Amino acid sequence: MKTRKSVWLAMFLLVAVLLVFGATRTGGPQTQQDRIDSLTAVLACPTCSGESVFVSRAAAAESIRAEVARQVSAGLRTDEQILSYIEQRFGGEVLLVPRATGVDALVWALPVAALVFSIFLLYSAFTKWRGNKPESPTSQDEQIVARALNTKSDEQ
Amino acid sequence: MKSNNLVKIVSTIVGIVIAMFFVVLVVADPDQDIVARSPLLGQPAPAVTSETIDGAQFVLERRKGSWVVLNFFNSTCVPCINEHDLLVDFANSEASNLNGAEIYTIINDDSSDAVRDFFNKNGGDWQKVKDDNGAIAVAFGVARVPETWIIDPNGMVRLRITGELSPGLLSEQVNKLRDGFTS
Repeated sequence: MKTRKSVWLAMFLLVAVLLVFGATRTGGPQTQQDRIDSLTAVLACPTCSGESVFVSRAAAAESIRAEVARQVSAGLRTDEQILSYIEQRFGGEVLLVPRATGVDALVWALPVAALVFSIFLLYSAFTKWRGNKPESPTSQDEQIVARALNTKSDEQ
Repeated sequence: MKSNNLVKIVSTIVGIVIAMFFVVLVVADPDQDIVARSPLLGQPAPAVTSETIDGAQFVLERRKGSWVVLNFFNSTCVPCINEHDLLVDFANSEASNLNGAEIYTIINDDSSDAVRDFFNKNGGDWQKVKDDNGAIAVAFGVARVPETWIIDPNGMVRLRITGELSPGLLSEQVNKLRDGFTS
């Protein structure tokens, strides 16, 4: 029992470490074009439905792509600042990936909370089912059964 | 037993939240205001430096001291064509006003020649500003034309009108802003 708990704990820790590592690592794009592509891929074309600026050929998307390219070439703003610039102009709906701050953070937090809560519910249910297992018969029970069997065989 | 109660409580809460979403969906009014929202309202106007189709330099910041109307335009866009006469009337009435607004066309995804031809045919002697790479449109968050923006003499963005202008709307809004303006 103790070993099984340790295995679960180790797995949980491993997943947590991998998640933290994956979320914080900075293996960012290297070239200017990579930066432009990665930025436009997370911006929504304001006049299309469900297309990113990266794939759209609409005039508004072309303008945003040109602006991102201009700001990347100028080298004065970070990726975050460029995204903020576009967001301040077109509103939050232009971001395909919601921010992890303010009310938008609920988009990230709620699924995790739901997952944790579901695991808790499942754990409670499994524990309860295991607790409902019939106990092993006592010697008294065995005597009752034996008597009943004897009575039955006598009748036969 | 305890777990059953918990499930009931959670199901009830989830049910209430879903019901509230439906109520909001049914009750909420669709946003049909022609005067549109923008994060730029009440903020300094974006820096705009470009040139007109006649080769003159245009720097928006230098227009401080005057009311400025920017009309984002494309000569093939039907609402732009439809509202053009209203803009000509507006420009004429403002020209006779001592504190009249200046109007500028910002060319959106169109050629200078096409715009020049359009204005030669349909009137309108104000300046037409080039926006070749769409930088001005992006700076104002303009996705579709026509859009009309009003900037006060302090250089602050005061109003954004999306879509085709209705008769009298622009004059009414500029007059309202001008009346309530204190520098």
